[in-house]
Amino acid sequence: MTGFAQGLLDALLRDTHLITPQLFLMVVATLMLWPGDLFFNRNEKHRWAPITLVVLAITAALIGRTPDGEGFSRMFRMDGLTRGFEMLCVLGAAATVALSVKLLNGLKQQTVEYYALILFSLAGMLFLCGASDLISVYFSLELMAICIYILVAYLRDRATSVEAGVKYFLLGAFSSGILVYGISLLYGAAGGTTTNLADLNQALALTPTTSNLLVFSGVLMVLMGMAFKVAAVPFHMWSPDAYEGAPTPITMFMATAPKAAALAAFLRVFGAGLHGVSSDWVLPLCYIAGASMILGNVTAVRQESMKRLLAYSSIAHVGYMLLGVLSGDPRAGAQAVWLYMLIYIVMNTGAFAVVIYLQGKGEGERIEDFKGLGRKHPVLAFAMMVFMLSLAGIPPLAGFFGKFYLFKLAIEQGFVTLTVIALLTSAVGAYYYLGVVKEMYFREPEGEAVPMGATSVFVVTLACALVLVATAFGPWLVDWASKVTWV
Amino acid sequence: MFTANTTLMLVATFLPLLGALVLLLVPKDQRRVFEIGSLLVMIVSFLMSAVFWFGYDRASDAVQWAQAWNWIPSIGVKFSVGMDGISLLLWLLTTFIGPIAIACSFSAITERHKEYYIWMLVLQTAMLGVFITQDMFLFYLFWEVMLVPMYFLIAIWGGPQKLYAAIKLFLYTLAGGVLMLVAILAIYFLQHKTTGVYDFSLASFHAMAPVIAQQTKTYQILLALAFFIGFAIKVPMFPFHTWLPDAHVQAPTAGSVILAAILLKMGTYGFVRFLLPILPDATKMLLKPFLILSLIGIIYGALVAMIQKDMKKLVAYSSVSHLGICMLGLFALNPYGIKGGMFQMINHGISTSGLFLAVGIVYERRHTRMIADFGGLSKSMPVYATIFMIMTMSSLGLPLLNGFIGEGVVLMGAFQAFPWAAVVATLGIILGAAYLLWMYQRVMFGPITAVNEKMDDLNLREVLYFAPLVVTAFWIGMYPKPIMDVMDAPVRKLVEQITPGYHAAQSLAAQQAVAAKLGMQGMTAPAHHEEAAPAGHEAPVHEAAAPETHGHGGGH
Repeated sequence: MTGFAQGLLDALLRDTHLITPQLFLMVVATLMLWPGDLFFNRNEKHRWAPITLVVLAITAALIGRTPDGEGFSRMFRMDGLTRGFEMLCVLGAAATVALSVKLLNGLKQQTVEYYALILFSLAGMLFLCGASDLISVYFSLELMAICIYILVAYLRDRATSVEAGVKYFLLGAFSSGILVYGISLLYGAAGGTTTNLADLNQALALTPTTSNLLVFSGVLMVLMGMAFKVAAVPFHMWSPDAYEGAPTPITMFMATAPKAAALAAFLRVFGAGLHGVSSDWVLPLCYIAGASMILGNVTAVRQESMKRLLAYSSIAHVGYMLLGVLSGDPRAGAQAVWLYMLIYIVMNTGAFAVVIYLQGKGEGERIEDFKGLGRKHPVLAFAMMVFMLSLAGIPPLAGFFGKFYLFKLAIEQGFVTLTVIALLTSAVGAYYYLGVVKEMYFREPEGEAVPMGATSVFVVTLACALVLVATAFGPWLVDWASKVTWV
Repeated sequence: MFTANTTLMLVATFLPLLGALVLLLVPKDQRRVFEIGSLLVMIVSFLMSAVFWFGYDRASDAVQWAQAWNWIPSIGVKFSVGMDGISLLLWLLTTFIGPIAIACSFSAITERHKEYYIWMLVLQTAMLGVFITQDMFLFYLFWEVMLVPMYFLIAIWGGPQKLYAAIKLFLYTLAGGVLMLVAILAIYFLQHKTTGVYDFSLASFHAMAPVIAQQTKTYQILLALAFFIGFAIKVPMFPFHTWLPDAHVQAPTAGSVILAAILLKMGTYGFVRFLLPILPDATKMLLKPFLILSLIGIIYGALVAMIQKDMKKLVAYSSVSHLGICMLGLFALNPYGIKGGMFQMINHGISTSGLFLAVGIVYERRHTRMIADFGGLSKSMPVYATIFMIMTMSSLGLPLLNGFIGEGVVLMGAFQAFPWAAVVATLGIILGAAYLLWMYQRVMFGPITAVNEKMDDLNLREVLYFAPLVVTAFWIGMYPKPIMDVMDAPVRKLVEQITPGYHAAQSLAAQQAVAAKLGMQGMTAPAHHEEAAPAGHEAPVHEAAAPETHGHGGGH
């Protein structure tokens, strides 16, 4: 007995270095809640934001230093895919924190919990990026999601925020149930011996034909659960409402970091674990991807709220990224998705920073409120135009390169019809993105120009510069993307 | 320094963009700086490009001044540039129209000068880029980049329906462009499958033609359709033309000029450069529908132009008709047809720009373009009337002016290949003369109203920007040989790519015709009657058969 305990302890100690970033995040977040919170009085809570940013920077450094490896009974693995997507999550979280300060100050809602929850949920995402077992996929998803449920409902005196949180929570819990049920079916179909993705892949290949239906139902349910997490059609119902109701930085957070983590899990579960039974999920996933592109883009056209527009457009972008998951070559798929996600996070951060800035100025988040921005704030409007055109995938902006790699891969893998749908719907996308440009440049402004806040300027300018730089240095991005791989 | 080389070509191409970046730093109330500055940039760029006209080696069909730098090596994208005669002509047309488009905006643009001239310069670089690139990826990039400045030019400085027109132009062209991208990628991967390398260069795509010809018929037809729709939207061919009248009518004068002179040529250029040489077999399979669409465009454009009340709309629909003639020439797939089509592109660029400029002149003075509002202008504006007359005549194809040569050569080519199509096209040309002359008559002659009597004739600036167009129209009309020479070798190569062995067969047929003639002479000669007879019997058979098969070769 002591031998077993000793062995367990040794194994834990041996593998702990793989999850240093996560442990660091959880320890720091706990310390922030208590006793850290005692150091600042009510009016000084905004100081948590820079501290959180420093924590995130350290986390990024730790992720960079963590060596490749597998541990915890092969529940978690650190490899190129994990590292790449973890970095994306940290990037998304950092952008969120940077943009939160002003808004929360304005609302007098600065609390340490806000930042601690972001860190906890980030820890969940980092686990999810490296989860190599259906069980660890499930619990990291939950850790990530539960924190976000709370963050969505963070402005608790606002009915819309609470409604969004409840809606997200109920549907999220429901989808988790489906996911768990799917996992249990797969576990049963594979002989009740393993939930490890690599082993599962082998075990499922050996299942007798009589259990085909069992495997199929399991795969389908896992697919549904995962599609729910990335908000792909027809499991997207929660996302526009949650996006609209949540505090805007959290909307941005939901559109970036958790999506990156969930896509990493998507890639690993389907690319590694269920690769052998791809005939079961390729067709449904094709329909999901196609429907996401069509519905996301077409519905976005009619939105009046900028946040809803970005929500629907993010459904469409997920549709594009699912093309990478579909790829018969999971490594190339992961690289294309990673590159797309990286560019998407930057563009989206920029666009949200503009929205947040306008909200901070007491203006609304409706598209109409962008009226005449080109006159009032030439810099801001120019940056927004770059983000919109880049999101629309107009060359030579970075967004085009992201799309190009994805679509190139999809055509290579033979998904021609789906790619044609993707391209034509992205032309539809250009319509509503240009609608925003139209409001900014071709409508006369109302009211006077107001000076901009320093953080927003910084984030907007940085994001705009990144999009433009990425445009010029496409090849480097590709080199980076080629490191996102796993054995 | 000023010898025609790759560096100078890149400088001439990117100078407008550089100018735009410099102008970005100028405060926005300095209206003169923007006007004169951008005009100077355009003129310098034109002068640089003129060097290439003299430096071009007309005997060679190779891509000249070619150079390539690695850009994204992992997928085989190179920053690859160079020009052959076909690109050179359109590239020169672009640099030639650039200063004119700027000069005509001085009084027409009354607000937001800074943005306007910057967008014009950016647009110029994007358009020039399309013609010099020798890489499919780069080509697609420039092709789409062009849309953004054009969108802004129409949407900010356009007419009452500008937003609708601008977004329509944008979405139509974007939708066509993405289909083209799919086709490009499909060929790219086919190439990887057969040769094992990833390469986006134009030459490697041309080299794929025989491989594509071995694919299934459906595959080829789908590829050809994807290219066709992409380019046909830009040209625009019937039934993809509906964006054109909107865009033309709503765009500011300079926008219309550039749209007509250059943007539409991108479509025809696409056909010449990509569809015909890369997918010759598929093009031949689809030739009948393509031809019929061209003919419908010719007749439909002309008929719709006839009933227009708005001068600008009339000119816009005349573009649909004229571009139909271009396309007819290209789809004849023989040297005359393709040369004529190319020629017609340049002519259309000159004469239609002239017409749009002319419409812009009266619009600036009266703020109306309705034909009914005018009449008797030749009395108050004699210089204007003369220039308008020259441009009208050039557009309807009067001998001695440029339009005649283009239309004549297209009809020659079309008649060789499809006599029935040439007949229909002639009808379109007659209609063209009718609507243009009718418009001219209603605007220039007849009783003059008090308002029109007070209209000022052209000022010096306006005469100056019309002058190059008029001179060129006469020059091409009277001595088209230099331009024909420039495209001679590349067109020869193109025809050979479309129908391998075409020229050999042609020269064989010509030799046989000569032999036959000799034989005939032998027959009539009293001596050697017996020896010459057999040759005389055989040769006419060849003479009759050879052009017949080649003429219809494209149809099957």
